Amino acid sequence: MIYRIRHTTRYDYRVPVDYGVHLAHLIPRPLPGQRVIAAAVETMPALSWRHDGVDHFGNAVAWLFLDTPHASFEATMRALVEVAFAPPPEAWATPPWEAVAAAAWRGGAGAWQAAEFVFDSPLAAADPGARAYAAASFSPGRPMLVALLDLIGRIRAEFTFRAGVTTTATPIAEVLRRREGVCQDFTHLMISALRGLGLPARYVSGYIRTRPPPGQARRLGADQSHAWVDAWLGVEHGWVGLDPTNGLIVHDEHVVLAWGRDYDDIAPLRGVILGGGEQSLTVEVELEDASPSANPAAAPA
Amino acid sequence: MAHDEMVDGRGGMRPHWRGLLGVLAGLGQAVLAERRARLERILAEEGVGGLLPGAPPDRWRFDPIPLPLSGAEFATIEAGLIQRARLLEAVLADVYGPQRLLAEGVLPPALVFGNPGFLRPCRLDPQMPDDGLMQIYAADLVRGEDGAWRVLADRTGWTDGLAQALENRRRLGRVLPELFASGQLSPIGSFVEVWQERLQRLLPARTGERGSVALLTAGHAHPGWYGHVLLARELSCALVEGGDLTVRDGRLLLKTLRGLKPIGVLLRGGDGRGIDPLELAPDGHGVPGLLGAARGAVRIVNHPGSGFATAPVLAAFLPALAARLLGESLALPSVPTLWLGEAAAREQVRDAPDRWRLRPAFSARVAPVAADAAPAAWRPALAAAPWRFAATEAMSPSAAPCLGATGLEPGPVLVRVFLIADGHGWRAMPGGLGCVPAGGDAFWPASGPILAKDVWVLAETPEAIFGPPASEAPRLEIRRAAGDLPSRVADNFFWFGRYLERLEGGARLLRITIARTAQPAPAPHELAEITLLADCLIESGLLDAEAIAGVSQTGLAQALLRAAGRAGALHRRLTQVMQVSGQLRDRLTGEMHAVIGRGLRDVEEALGRVTTAHPGEALDSAAQAMARVLAFSATIAGLAAENMVRGGGRLFLDLGRRVERAQAVADELARVLDFPGATELPARVEHGLRLALELCDSSITYRARYLAVLQPAPVLDLVLADEGNPRGLGYQLAAARALLAEIAGSGDASLALRAADLSEEAQAMARDVAAAPDQARAALRLPARLRALRDAVAELSNGLSRRYFALLPPARRIGS
Repeated sequence: MIYRIRHTTRYDYRVPVDYGVHLAHLIPRPLPGQRVIAAAVETMPALSWRHDGVDHFGNAVAWLFLDTPHASFEATMRALVEVAFAPPPEAWATPPWEAVAAAAWRGGAGAWQAAEFVFDSPLAAADPGARAYAAASFSPGRPMLVALLDLIGRIRAEFTFRAGVTTTATPIAEVLRRREGVCQDFTHLMISALRGLGLPARYVSGYIRTRPPPGQARRLGADQSHAWVDAWLGVEHGWVGLDPTNGLIVHDEHVVLAWGRDYDDIAPLRGVILGGGEQSLTVEVELEDASPSANPAAAPA
Repeated sequence: MAHDEMVDGRGGMRPHWRGLLGVLAGLGQAVLAERRARLERILAEEGVGGLLPGAPPDRWRFDPIPLPLSGAEFATIEAGLIQRARLLEAVLADVYGPQRLLAEGVLPPALVFGNPGFLRPCRLDPQMPDDGLMQIYAADLVRGEDGAWRVLADRTGWTDGLAQALENRRRLGRVLPELFASGQLSPIGSFVEVWQERLQRLLPARTGERGSVALLTAGHAHPGWYGHVLLARELSCALVEGGDLTVRDGRLLLKTLRGLKPIGVLLRGGDGRGIDPLELAPDGHGVPGLLGAARGAVRIVNHPGSGFATAPVLAAFLPALAARLLGESLALPSVPTLWLGEAAAREQVRDAPDRWRLRPAFSARVAPVAADAAPAAWRPALAAAPWRFAATEAMSPSAAPCLGATGLEPGPVLVRVFLIADGHGWRAMPGGLGCVPAGGDAFWPASGPILAKDVWVLAETPEAIFGPPASEAPRLEIRRAAGDLPSRVADNFFWFGRYLERLEGGARLLRITIARTAQPAPAPHELAEITLLADCLIESGLLDAEAIAGVSQTGLAQALLRAAGRAGALHRRLTQVMQVSGQLRDRLTGEMHAVIGRGLRDVEEALGRVTTAHPGEALDSAAQAMARVLAFSATIAGLAAENMVRGGGRLFLDLGRRVERAQAVADELARVLDFPGATELPARVEHGLRLALELCDSSITYRARYLAVLQPAPVLDLVLADEGNPRGLGYQLAAARALLAEIAGSGDASLALRAADLSEEAQAMARDVAAAPDQARAALRLPARLRALRDAVAELSNGLSRRYFALLPPARRIGS
């Protein structure tokens, strides 16, 4: 699948801001299974300085500086991305989850990078409640992916997607008690549960297609930034993307922006401003099917 | 048995103690106690303590008895620490670089990814300096019962104590010069010069501007602030706060009076986690975007991520890391340390709990506790995540003589040694700081009071013999041109001047009023004057209008004494002076600071002695207290004139006084010319004129010029127009104009022009009265103009703040 993405973030300030610096994790990450055909970030007003780099997790990151007074700031990312992630291994053929935990703890060749995602992070520390919730899916000796699919199925069935009831500051225990929230909450909940079991799990930020495949229900979390979980299946099988909000294995409906330990590591755009008074934030996301088959008229010859 | 530093196992004195002990014995206990008292006094006067209300007291105390180490012994320590510095640098370079140690399994993942000191934004920096992430390194050492030194803590991030060690050595030279005559003491002053030079060489070589070196402090409320003040002075670099700095076009810039000046090397005076609210802790005291700048033209010393290697647990892995990274074995080992993430280590601790002490694996700030006495808060984590803990072997530090109440008494000692990279390798300062830990623990506390000692390294070759440290002259102080002064500092000087003047003006007004209320049976015109003075006091906030409404003259006198006393409004003004002078500690000479500190304490005592009890004594006590305030204010003015370089802070100190006094004089003159019944009985203007002269301390001058005849035009000429009368309005405005012109230099002089207009208006007022057919009536028309002038001075002061002081507004984090 090829997608055309537009992601606009706009801050409007009541009083002009004298100075602002923003950290952007907005450029889709090239991956096996994800080809970034084109991607760029444009801003209004124009930047006074920009620095591009790669962060600790290997994501593209940009520092955006504005040092003249401005009443609003808008950053728009446009990209054309082709995705076709390889299907996961047969679930029953993956190692028992305890073996995955042991390999991560040992670290060393093949495992040391995954091991980072076992440890607590500010927004996704191991939580006893989350661990207890997940334990029902992780019976002794169960193959890792079997247990994971069971877990995302339960989250999809038992939690209600509802915007506006949580914020980035809502604790995992609260999400667990309410049984509702948005994709970010479910993602942090699942990461916290897996870490509690000693299993590596990372936060993936990105997008899901706006219009569902023909004949299927509209996906939850479309038209905005989306988030899901990468879970580690051990040295042999590596990582698999799992979307607990939609109960899906990530295949060709998702586009990956970046990954980290939790949202804080890779927020698409965050900044520090000086001055400015109150502010309002508007975010718009579009993910259109740009495959030649989807719109033959627009396809290049 | 703890090792004895002074006496060997057979009861003989160790040779390197002989000279020192001979001198100490010769001085005797009484002299030593007196010298210690002097040392304490110097510390109280020159230190931060006592000056800054609400600030943490200075944690450093010093024992006057040095701890000598033989040159040969120190050479072994230095070699061992140089190896450790190289090793820790190599560890940091790998952890923030390719992470081979993790891939090879030399370091378990928990040690890196579970360590909160591993700062992910600092990793894979394309500009990773090839000369290392550390420029300074310190180690805390303990000597065990076997007489061998071991490392207790590696301080790879920020460490305090270096400036204190230098400062203390100088103070010791002042109070105990006899000690220095004895020996072969290695001097430590040149160490800082080497470092200073090194920092200069680290400045990025960019075309045009190299920038300068600055030390970042979290401000005067931070416990390490005074150490920062001392260190910035030792290194002759600017002491800056996050709000003074901004990142633009990839450069780090300091906001000064003349605009933005580049900083090329930023020393950090605190945890690396607080230096950039964009990428690290949002509640830090840092500069948004600083890490972005550090990827380009700015060098942060030490690298913000270097605190990683302070994790106590790393000691358990250092032998393996030394073998892997250096191919060497560790010459100066750590205190034996276990990582409780390993089952075998947990068993070892379980089998011999007496031998081990538990501590958090990743925080060097928390003191170790006995293995069987873990605090309740640790227990759940100890059971569920033992990898978060380490165990270190219990040690009893060696004992060294300290000055006690009756003589020399043995006390446990730890030693901190400082090393710097000089561009070719590492070198240690030949000396250090000793610490006498309370309770005898082998742990250098991260907070709370510290009893420190000067550590001496005795040179053994005659060429290396140096004289007493008197040659290590204290560094020169305030020598900055006005333009390079950080805006925040100029602001502090300006307010120091204003608060001083507010204190002095208040004391003057109270003194005049109290003297009048003392009259047993005041005449009607005296009563009218008291009412006018009370109005002035209310207007300036020294008296509460409601509290004196309808009270008798005695009641008013009581209210005045309360205002002048310990809990009164004048004392609040004193507190303001104390606060702002404390914040200027780094900008004042030690002498000036000591004089200010002593003066403030005297004034505070005098205000405390103001009594309301016995009428006779009360008046006398108040008069004395007010005289003390005036003397203090005059002393500061004299000191500033005699001691401070013209330019920089002094201009703003003067300007603050002028602006404040101009407003006060204009306001008071308006009030005394605006008495009730003025229009019916213009002849009464005489009372107002008399008060005007008295408030402007100009009665004697007037009498000398005009004998005793009071007339409006000559009085107003003296208090309004005469630019030679330092208490008059004309003088304040003319001086303000000149100061503003000097500050502006060749730049925008619009503020000086505004001051000139105000000065002209004061002249015009005096001229208008002189030219009027009825001078009295003309004088009584002035209050409205005087008030307008007062408001214009206030507006001038606001304009000054906006032009020169406006700090960057506070940073706020926003996110999608």
